[in-house]
Amino acid sequence: MVKIYVNNYEVDVPPGTLVIDAIEKAGYEVPTLCYLKGLFNEATCRICVVKVNGRVVPACKFPVSENAKIIVDDSDLRKLRKINLELLLATHEIKCWSCVRKGACELLDLSKKLGVEGIPVCSECSLREHSCLVLKGIPCLGPLTVAGCEAECPRRGSPCIGCRGYIVSEDVWAWALKNLYNGNIDLSELKSLVSFFWTYLPQNLRRLIEEVSSNNY
Amino acid sequence: MKVLTVDAGLQRADVLTVKVPLASCTLAAGASRVLESVKKTLEKLGLEATIKKVGCMGLCYLDPWIELEMRGAPPAIYANVKPEEVEKIVREYVKGNLSSALVIRGGTHDFKNVPTLDSLPEWKLQVRFVSRNCGLVDPESIEDYIRTGGYSGLKKALKLSREDVIEVVRKSGLRGRGGAGFPTWYKWRVAYEQKSDVKYVICNGDEGDPGAFMNRLLAESDPHRVLEGLIIAGYAIGASRGYIFVRAEKPLMAERLEIAASQARDYGFLGEKILGTDFSFDVEVYRSAGAFVCGEETALIAAIEGRSRPRQRPPYPATSGLWGKPTVINNVETLAHVATIFQVGLEEFTKYGTEKSKGTKMFCVTGSVKKTGVYEVPIGTKIKTLVYELAGGPPDGRAIKAVQIGGPSGGCIPADLLDLELDYETLQSYGAIMGSGGLVIIDDSNCMVDVAKYFTSFTLAESCGKCLPCRIGMKVISEVLEKITSGDASLEDLEVLKELGESIAKSSLCALGGTAPNPILSTLRYFRSEYEDHVIKKKCPAKVCSKLVRYEIDPSKCRGCTQCAKNCPANAISGSPGKTHVINYNRCIKCGQCLIACPFGAVTKV
Repeated sequence: MVKIYVNNYEVDVPPGTLVIDAIEKAGYEVPTLCYLKGLFNEATCRICVVKVNGRVVPACKFPVSENAKIIVDDSDLRKLRKINLELLLATHEIKCWSCVRKGACELLDLSKKLGVEGIPVCSECSLREHSCLVLKGIPCLGPLTVAGCEAECPRRGSPCIGCRGYIVSEDVWAWALKNLYNGNIDLSELKSLVSFFWTYLPQNLRRLIEEVSSNNY
Repeated sequence: MKVLTVDAGLQRADVLTVKVPLASCTLAAGASRVLESVKKTLEKLGLEATIKKVGCMGLCYLDPWIELEMRGAPPAIYANVKPEEVEKIVREYVKGNLSSALVIRGGTHDFKNVPTLDSLPEWKLQVRFVSRNCGLVDPESIEDYIRTGGYSGLKKALKLSREDVIEVVRKSGLRGRGGAGFPTWYKWRVAYEQKSDVKYVICNGDEGDPGAFMNRLLAESDPHRVLEGLIIAGYAIGASRGYIFVRAEKPLMAERLEIAASQARDYGFLGEKILGTDFSFDVEVYRSAGAFVCGEETALIAAIEGRSRPRQRPPYPATSGLWGKPTVINNVETLAHVATIFQVGLEEFTKYGTEKSKGTKMFCVTGSVKKTGVYEVPIGTKIKTLVYELAGGPPDGRAIKAVQIGGPSGGCIPADLLDLELDYETLQSYGAIMGSGGLVIIDDSNCMVDVAKYFTSFTLAESCGKCLPCRIGMKVISEVLEKITSGDASLEDLEVLKELGESIAKSSLCALGGTAPNPILSTLRYFRSEYEDHVIKKKCPAKVCSKLVRYEIDPSKCRGCTQCAKNCPANAISGSPGKTHVINYNRCIKCGQCLIACPFGAVTKV
């Protein structure tokens, strides 16, 4: 058994244990993407980076050594993970609306966890000149959908392009919901739409909807 | 020239000897045609002479050169020889007239206007330790090598125990010459201590940096030295098999190493029970289709196994390398150093270099200098000495702006920091790396953003694509650089470059990704104002980035000769003979043909 320190907690693990298993044993968690225990272990995605004795290494492939000091999370590592995830998303064809995973997606879960905000489709769309419908006061579901709904584009008079909208803060969400609610959609329709579209939901969306519908906002 | 000790018998032939260098570099410069011409000339003149094929001595700006020597006259070197000049050269030399020679290798003579080789700074300031034989011996002759003390190192090593051999290397303080400067003995010790039935040693001759060719030169000019080093390494760790990993793009290097190996086999330096000891060892020259990443040791091992991608270390190759067996990988130059250390002794090696890094290192100086070449100098020599004194400084009218050290993995050192010493730690602290030792000299006609863009495109193309930061991150960096050179960038993009570059360097899997952002980060660090000019003023100060420059015709100088309009491939210039011409910027493709064509200097680049 070798003695190691995970976030300053002492743990004893068998020699040759992978850092990721040692972290797990210590009760911590490290985000992973390409690592599939026992199946794929090539350390390609570099999401699970941790610091071992100050050196940045992938937890899924690096064996522990005696007295290793492992840091699972700090601002540095969070930044590295976030940048790497953003790089991955930059080449990922984001078509969540037609994706077979229907939201059961590690990439999106990870985006939530690491705080990678939704990248508005508008910036990728070939019709880039579209301006935001919500800003014009037209009810649309852009802010609620993650990547559209295969709906028609606003150029054709349809309300939603699934632009993933301005998901910046809770205030914007509330404001968008309010705009929608003041439009021609009633509360039940709004709720069903929101639950129908696979959405990048803030945690307290339910509360927001309640607030908006009760005109408390 | 301090260390060179060549057997006198080798230098003095009784009759005329013509040395013709045959290495890839001199062949490219036309040495094979010179050789043909030498053969014809000797036949025509009816001279009894030997033609000796030698390697390259590293003074590339002299290529192709020939050296003539004869009893009664000092050996003379003639540079930049054209095939048709050979006859005249030989005739004059035989008559004893050496006045047209470039340099005279040594001895007393009356030709005061011809300098001796030892008086040239590019020769005098060198310490030719591993390159001592380059350009002097026939690389395809083991006898030549043995005559210069070859394989005596192996004989000495085989008399020592394995621990003692490693101890000698430890005492020498030899560090890997491939780039990272890892202590050679340590790798050996770890591999030696592994209990395994099979162990391997690999000579890393992949050498892929643009502007670095010292390994090729060394292995082509003195292959036995590399081989001897490899055999000593094999003995030290108890390996039974060695590989020499050579790029298929360097066929001559592979061929010469193969010839060397077969000669060594004939002489009993390779094979079963070498020199009567229990040590059996053989080598194979492995040719790999070139990929820059194969210079990385885990990728190199994977390439021999059949799939060239790096893998995460540990385990380090010294514990689990080729086919999962303990493997030592050393650079060509490192192994040549090992052989030379055993031949001439530790003291000769350790008297050069710095406290932390002993010995000498071969550096390739290319780019904007008068005398491109490979120069072997002690580690710790100032960059300035190497660039200005040995390589002769920039061409007239130009000034040096930066020196890119270590190829695409290295960084740019600005001209005002050329006082720095060339050693592993100093260079690293200034954002460059020693790398294999290639120095690309960049003069003031170059745009540093463009330089960064070039190196990014190189690493981007050479990235194996396994790990994410290198594969996608470098792509994003190249896009941002493209944006900057097109004048579409904002100051935030510079922050993106920095942040992304640092992130790639930290989280990449292998050394390729770990060092790939170095050119960007170092140019950003030392030439930020140049980046800002592109971003804020939308101007390229060096007038290189074509999207940010514009060609203008000065009406006061234009005489209406129509040359510019005739040469314009885009028909962008209008004007009739005798009248001032005008460039139509909507059609102009900024090729610069008008600037070249104008006989009156009326076209300017702004």
